[in-house]
Amino acid sequence: MAYIRKDVSTLTTGERRRFVRALLELKRRGEYDEFVRMHIDYYTSDGERGLRTAHMTPSFLPWHRRFLLDLEKALRRVDPSVTVPYWDWTRDRATTSVPWTADLLGGNGRRSDRQVMTGPFAHATGNWTIRDGVTDTEFLTRDLGRARDPIGLPTKADVEWALSDPVYDVSPWDSTVTRGFRNKLEGWGTGRGSTAWLNHNRVHRWVGGAMVGGASVNDPVFWLHHAFIDLLWTRWQRRHRTHRYLPAEPPLPDSSQFRRVVARHQRLPPWNVTPDQLEDAGRIYRYA
Amino acid sequence: MVVSVDGAADVTTGPARKARRGTRRSALRGLLGATAALALAPLVAASRPARRQDSHGHGHGHVPAPAPALGLGLGANAFDETYLGRHLLGRLVPPVGVADTGRWEVTVDGRPLHLMRRADGTWLSMVDHYRSYADPLEAVRAAVDELGPGQMLRPAAATGRHTHMGGDHGLHP
Repeated sequence: MAYIRKDVSTLTTGERRRFVRALLELKRRGEYDEFVRMHIDYYTSDGERGLRTAHMTPSFLPWHRRFLLDLEKALRRVDPSVTVPYWDWTRDRATTSVPWTADLLGGNGRRSDRQVMTGPFAHATGNWTIRDGVTDTEFLTRDLGRARDPIGLPTKADVEWALSDPVYDVSPWDSTVTRGFRNKLEGWGTGRGSTAWLNHNRVHRWVGGAMVGGASVNDPVFWLHHAFIDLLWTRWQRRHRTHRYLPAEPPLPDSSQFRRVVARHQRLPPWNVTPDQLEDAGRIYRYA
Repeated sequence: MVVSVDGAADVTTGPARKARRGTRRSALRGLLGATAALALAPLVAASRPARRQDSHGHGHGHVPAPAPALGLGLGANAFDETYLGRHLLGRLVPPVGVADTGRWEVTVDGRPLHLMRRADGTWLSMVDHYRSYADPLEAVRAAVDELGPGQMLRPAAATGRHTHMGGDHGLHP
């Protein structure tokens, strides 16, 4: 029977405690840092050669779906009652609202060095030392809303802009496409200012610190953010029932994208699974 | 059975880590074999200085204007400046052979900062991974903006692996 992923704002005190405790246990065992490294390893940019599986590519959504499932499986080995909650950043938008509370992910970084000082992931607890970061600091950093040059979280209208596009993705299947649900949600825009960061990308920037860098998984909000992104994919699927993951077929050898994106029935590295097989996870989990 | 992107039937059932090595090798093969297609584009992109303008709307059409060198006497293919108290040093490593387009070697206070190129010719760094900038110097300055006071990039030697600086699939095989 499918388990339920809940809105983080609805978790009971006990559910919050168990979720946090399971994360800390994975960190203690060294398993958590493997997720950090894997996300770094699979970040291939589209201006470079090679197969893109995780970003700037149609499989952005199924790749992260499977990535979350792996983390969730690890959490549930520690505590079978735990599931990954989602953070609906169109609703919980304040720097003091969930998930930034002391019983969940802790609050903003302090002004002097952006170090997170509160909650279970504060460095002083001894439980959350960054080992695979971009910088040599061992503490978790955040800069919620970017104090020096404020940026807002994406709005319901921004999300609707993506959800209303009936096409999953379009050629050339990269960060330059201006149509298609996938990139409108992933959020590769152009230019500067408000258009440079959209939806998924913009949330990484709004959180700041570790979350804006290549080692963004070091901030556990990564999972809550991506659970919401995953939820939005299910909403898009419900709204556009006749539309599927694209491309259905691999790009041909004369295409610039030949062997650089994963088509619907191709293997999605590092797993032995296809986007087709990941399109419907309803038998594994549902969103409340 | 699942067919992989390179056309081979894949029967891998082992742990992710095992498959990952294959991915890296594949990526490196692709890098060495196909960079010719990118010839000149990065050189042109690299020569643009930081621009100071905003564009609006979700559409594209961002066409950076050609620009003079960076004004430090180093030409368009290098920079050496102090920004917010940090020493930024970058140079385009000249291409070796026709299959090479060259790559940027960048340091901030002596620590390497890996840059990645986007398909539209813009650049992003390991520090600031969710948007891109018009040219390498702007990407490096943006990375410095993100570094907290006193934060240093992790020295490459500290990790003993390329993945820290953007993965084995990047421009630093």
